[in-house]
Amino acid sequence: MRFYIDDLPVIFPYDRIYPEQYQYMCDLKRTLDATGHCVLEMPSGTGKTVSLLSLIVSYQQFYPTRRKLIYCSRTVPEIEKALAELKRLMEYRVSMAETEEQKAKELSFYGMGLTSRKNLCIHPEVSKEKKGKVVDARCRDLTNSAACQKGRENPGSVDLCDWHENLGKLEPGNLIPPGVWTLADVLQYGRDNKICPYFLVRRMMPFVDIVIYSFHYLLDPKVAEQVSKEMSKDAIVVFDEAHNIDNVCIESLSIDLTRPMLDSAARSVTRLGDQIEEIKRTDASKLQDEYARLVEGLQEAANDEDAFMSNPVLPEDLLNEAIPGNIRKAEHFVAFLKRFVEYLKTRMRVLHVVAETPPSFLQHLKDITYIERRPLRFCAERLQSLVRTLELSRLDEYSALQKVATFATLVSTYEKGFLLILEPFETDNATVPNPIFHFTCLDPSIAIKPVFERFSSVVITSGTISPLDMYPKMLQFTPVVQESYQMTLTRNSFLPLVITRGSDQVAISSRFEVRNDPAVVRNFGSILIEYSKTVPDGVVAFFPSYLYMESIVAAWNDMGILNEVWKYKLIFVETPDANETSIALENYRRACDNGRGAVLLSVARGKVSEGIDFDHNYGRAVIMFGVPYQYTESRILKARLEYLRDTYRIRESEFLGFDAMRNAAQCVGRVLRGKTDWGLMVFADKRFARADKRAKLPRWINQYITETASNLSTDMAITLSKLFMRTISQNPNENQTGISLWTLEDIERHQAKQKELETEKQGGRDEDEYGDGGLDDSTLVQIDLDV
Amino acid sequence: MPSSTLTAKASYKKLPGTLELTSTHLQWTQDGKKAPSIRIPHVEAASLFCSKEGAAQVRLKIGLVSDDAGHNFTFLAPQPVAVTEREKFKTELTNIIGVNRRGPNTPSVVPSPITPVLAQQSSNAPSSRPAIPMSRSSTSRAPSVAASDSRRTGTPMSDPTSDYQLRIRVLLSNPELAALHRELVMSRQITENEFWEGREHILLAQAAQESQRKGKSGQLVDPRPQTVDGEIKIVITPQLKLDIFEEYPVVKKAFEENVDKKLSEPEFWHRYFQSKLFNAHRASIRSSAAQHVVRDDPIFDKYLEKDDDELEPRRLREDRVDIFIDLGATLEDHGETGNDKDVTMQAGKQRAVLPLIRKFNEHSGRLLDSVLGEGPTKRRRIEGRMEERYSQLDLEDLHDNQSAAGIALNMGDSKRYFEGRSGDASQAAGPIDVKATIHEAKTNLQGWSANLIQLKIDKKAGDTALSEMTQNVAARLDVKLRKEDIPEVVYGQMMACQTAANEFLRQFWLAIYPPPSDLPTASAATPAQKAAKATKMIAYLDQMSEKVNALAFAATQSGVDGTKIRTAMKPVLDAVEKATTFWRARNSAAAPAPHRR
Repeated sequence: MRFYIDDLPVIFPYDRIYPEQYQYMCDLKRTLDATGHCVLEMPSGTGKTVSLLSLIVSYQQFYPTRRKLIYCSRTVPEIEKALAELKRLMEYRVSMAETEEQKAKELSFYGMGLTSRKNLCIHPEVSKEKKGKVVDARCRDLTNSAACQKGRENPGSVDLCDWHENLGKLEPGNLIPPGVWTLADVLQYGRDNKICPYFLVRRMMPFVDIVIYSFHYLLDPKVAEQVSKEMSKDAIVVFDEAHNIDNVCIESLSIDLTRPMLDSAARSVTRLGDQIEEIKRTDASKLQDEYARLVEGLQEAANDEDAFMSNPVLPEDLLNEAIPGNIRKAEHFVAFLKRFVEYLKTRMRVLHVVAETPPSFLQHLKDITYIERRPLRFCAERLQSLVRTLELSRLDEYSALQKVATFATLVSTYEKGFLLILEPFETDNATVPNPIFHFTCLDPSIAIKPVFERFSSVVITSGTISPLDMYPKMLQFTPVVQESYQMTLTRNSFLPLVITRGSDQVAISSRFEVRNDPAVVRNFGSILIEYSKTVPDGVVAFFPSYLYMESIVAAWNDMGILNEVWKYKLIFVETPDANETSIALENYRRACDNGRGAVLLSVARGKVSEGIDFDHNYGRAVIMFGVPYQYTESRILKARLEYLRDTYRIRESEFLGFDAMRNAAQCVGRVLRGKTDWGLMVFADKRFARADKRAKLPRWINQYITETASNLSTDMAITLSKLFMRTISQNPNENQTGISLWTLEDIERHQAKQKELETEKQGGRDEDEYGDGGLDDSTLVQIDLDV
Repeated sequence: MPSSTLTAKASYKKLPGTLELTSTHLQWTQDGKKAPSIRIPHVEAASLFCSKEGAAQVRLKIGLVSDDAGHNFTFLAPQPVAVTEREKFKTELTNIIGVNRRGPNTPSVVPSPITPVLAQQSSNAPSSRPAIPMSRSSTSRAPSVAASDSRRTGTPMSDPTSDYQLRIRVLLSNPELAALHRELVMSRQITENEFWEGREHILLAQAAQESQRKGKSGQLVDPRPQTVDGEIKIVITPQLKLDIFEEYPVVKKAFEENVDKKLSEPEFWHRYFQSKLFNAHRASIRSSAAQHVVRDDPIFDKYLEKDDDELEPRRLREDRVDIFIDLGATLEDHGETGNDKDVTMQAGKQRAVLPLIRKFNEHSGRLLDSVLGEGPTKRRRIEGRMEERYSQLDLEDLHDNQSAAGIALNMGDSKRYFEGRSGDASQAAGPIDVKATIHEAKTNLQGWSANLIQLKIDKKAGDTALSEMTQNVAARLDVKLRKEDIPEVVYGQMMACQTAANEFLRQFWLAIYPPPSDLPTASAATPAQKAAKATKMIAYLDQMSEKVNALAFAATQSGVDGTKIRTAMKPVLDAVEKATTFWRARNSAAAPAPHRR
């Protein structure tokens, strides 16, 4: 359908619209008009992505500025879904176009998604590699400019990638016909035309109207510098499913070093030394040239193929000056690296926990090794230059050294908001040291700051980002719009239940002290048994951590609980391996489709909880066993909590509660897609009964938790669930249209009403006799007066 | 071929007799009797137990789907013969049970495929022992056997509507229908086929219900020791054996390689249950703790695999899954960043659990494969493509209701209809003076409130309405209270009379207006046949009023008001009347009438 928001014609690819979708679009438009940022929480499964895309595409196509959209999502499945959604939207827009001109405009629209080489490679050998790092390295060997030059001058001397070569023969900016290309489409196009899909997308980036990729491509400076540097400032940035955005920000500036890594780095340094010796003998001029360039302080313009490692620090923190003299010469730099690695190795020998700030670390470093802060800041850049000069291959073997260089640059660039923690033992009771040196970022606003500064409109949206004011506080920005939408329902399509005790009245909780108590474990188990008995098709259960899930699966098996579940449903469990879990997930879906029904055991914050939908028959009930708190004994978490408290006045318990509830809400929110879908949401922990916990749930879930449903025993919950299922499986007789579904007329009526309210506010009375064809309110009032 | 019909002397409940295995049933006939007193269809067989080798009596126990207790047979022949006989039964029954458990869709692995010859034989076998009532019907029983056979092997069903046994089962489960059947068919008023005509859906439903079989249980194969006669042991039954082989192909391999060469079968199992291999197979992580208790076993340890407890599984399918659920793609989407996860969030920290978890996933996957065939093939994944993608994203309720295409109205003289309409329309569609209309409406409405005040409702009318309603309620109550005054016998006769009349009417109208034949009806009848049938039915219908009269008379005899019966039967008689009038009108129209009426 087509409707107007102010003067903007919006094309929405359905015949009807949810009221919250309409509201969402209005608020989104307000944000874009004001060129500001916003935080929007829209209930899961109410078509957030399609509303967002349809408004923004309408916006792009209507206004002449044609602002580019950078749409970020968390996972590849979500990226692919957004692309498919966009593709369908564009097909609809083409079919709705009124003039030929308009049609041509819609047809010339470009939308693409970007992911790693590993996911986009179609080279027969390289794509077989299991590790993404190896794929990257082998790809670079086949495609870097030096190799290409050699190979083209002297065919056959160097192995080149045919797909990449073919791409080079095409005219830039016209590598692929216009349209929306999902990842699968691009792969197929690459196969059909024998061109490289990865570089195809990379090179098309400046020309596309919408690019969809993951958060890291914009937030992680190592990646962002390569792929997102050229995005124009007026681009619209959207972070979808952004409830965990603070963690991505923190991750992108944190790094871990271990002892095996340092050993490998030391070996790499030695190899670099050998390489330098050799090149001195064969082609000394190369080193000379490099030295000269560094003296001049020239930045090398690296193209996409050559870039293998970019500066890990944010653009504004980059130093635009020449590399210091003491590391300009290759052999000096190698010696410098060697000293630094040795220093780190000695630090690792300490057998007690150390926590220190970057300045204190640098001071100690200087005292011991005389390494200054300034050359350390150039470490990553200098290594990059050296590797390019030496024309090294198989860079994956140097990855540990790259990490050390990254660490060096980061630690010497940032003073505030970071902490170094050395943990000699993995756990408190371990006796064999396995030291890890954490360099951890504590402040999520650091990484996202450049994004807010550079782009005029940043939209942060998700199904679960309550409480809304937490995000502006943590990420340090001022939104122009901040909104949470309710879910309008003509009948309750989901039932949230809080189970606080088992049928035997023993309280259940995943609190550390009681979580392995047999009574609790059994009560958790009986919840699973009861639900697998009563609920058709798919049941998904989430645990607070992998450790807990693994121990409870073993315990349930020995208690015979799983044997009972096997009678009713198949059981699938999330495993450490992502591909293995995907296959389990695929089988789970097959079992749900087939009617056999299955139970999926998985972990909140785990692989499955991110980006996999359990809508319709794939999830009729979600059970959250316990509150998914983070591991509070973690030193990194403790440091972060302390920092939040001191800097932003966010109390520890407040943050922990918020974090647990957003993850719990995220897990249970996956069951719904659309308003005809239904599902049960079971929160099994006595702590969920507390009002302060529930207040942190998104409003659209919380408003449906009734007083009775907030403190149940297992048998009561089952009774309520059965009742709910009996009601929900009846045909919805009442017409949802007008209440939870709007037709075009409903929108227009709503808009007319809004307008009236506004004019009324202004004081001017509108005496339009022929409103929308019916009697308007004022006439009705007059009639009443006559009587 | 051993599977065609196995026979052996065996006793059941201490009575001597003959045990037989035909291609459809396992049956036992007491000596000196003709009909088998026990008949178990193959699909009923659920489990099988045998007495130990070397036991004094050679026994076989079969458990049924509906009845776990099952039946116990003792082979009567001298030991060695009895054992071989039992073994033959055992292998066949094990296969049959295996087929039953696997469900109907997988191709059977029964070593003896059912050949046409065999079907012939088996169709002869049961017919010689009429075990089921109503077998005097002329219908052949051959098709029924074929039908049940074909269902068992999963080939498309042969026409179930003509399946005689199916009809019997339908009648057995539906007493009212059976009564009607008795009344009409047994008394030869209408034929068997006529009776079923138009009732095909009941048969089809029954056939569908019967062909639906309970799938394989999802539980893991986990032989647990039981206490038998004070001894702790694991009882091995033939189907436990089969289950173990299916679940752990390596045991099957070991069995094939060792039994009868190095070990006897009991010895094999004895050692297996004590081996590390068994412990590795047990669905428990405690087994790893029990490892040191278990002895080394040179034979079984060969088959032992290393525990699959690495973070990456040992075996992984090569092809990728659908990108919408591809977790690996996300993992590889960007280089690893950030600090390590804390200790509770590192998956696979408890390595001992990993083999267990993998076993669950594999077991579930295998169960699915056994029902749905090998995993979702690549082909399907590529073919589905965009349509399937879109359907996963679609919000159905946002589409307009797509109403059904509707049935086109078949109008006789559509032209005239439209002409008439257009005539009307031209009249009506004269230029409407909007102002005048509004004015008129306004004047009509003027003073409406005054009119409303003047409105007086006649009291009398209201009173009448109320009293009528009261009477109505009283009458109903009266009826309710006096319901039981018709004697049981008369009431039954009335019922019978009414259902019979309905059946005749049904047959009659069916002959006049045959339904659109999307069902394979038995009546591809010619018009002449139909006419004949209609005539016959009319003859029956004509007798109806007499019957009712007779009923009324009988009722008066037993002290009930005859008019009451007449009132009750009035609607039926009306319907009969309508049919006969229709018939007469039709016949007089189609003059010269071939029949008297």
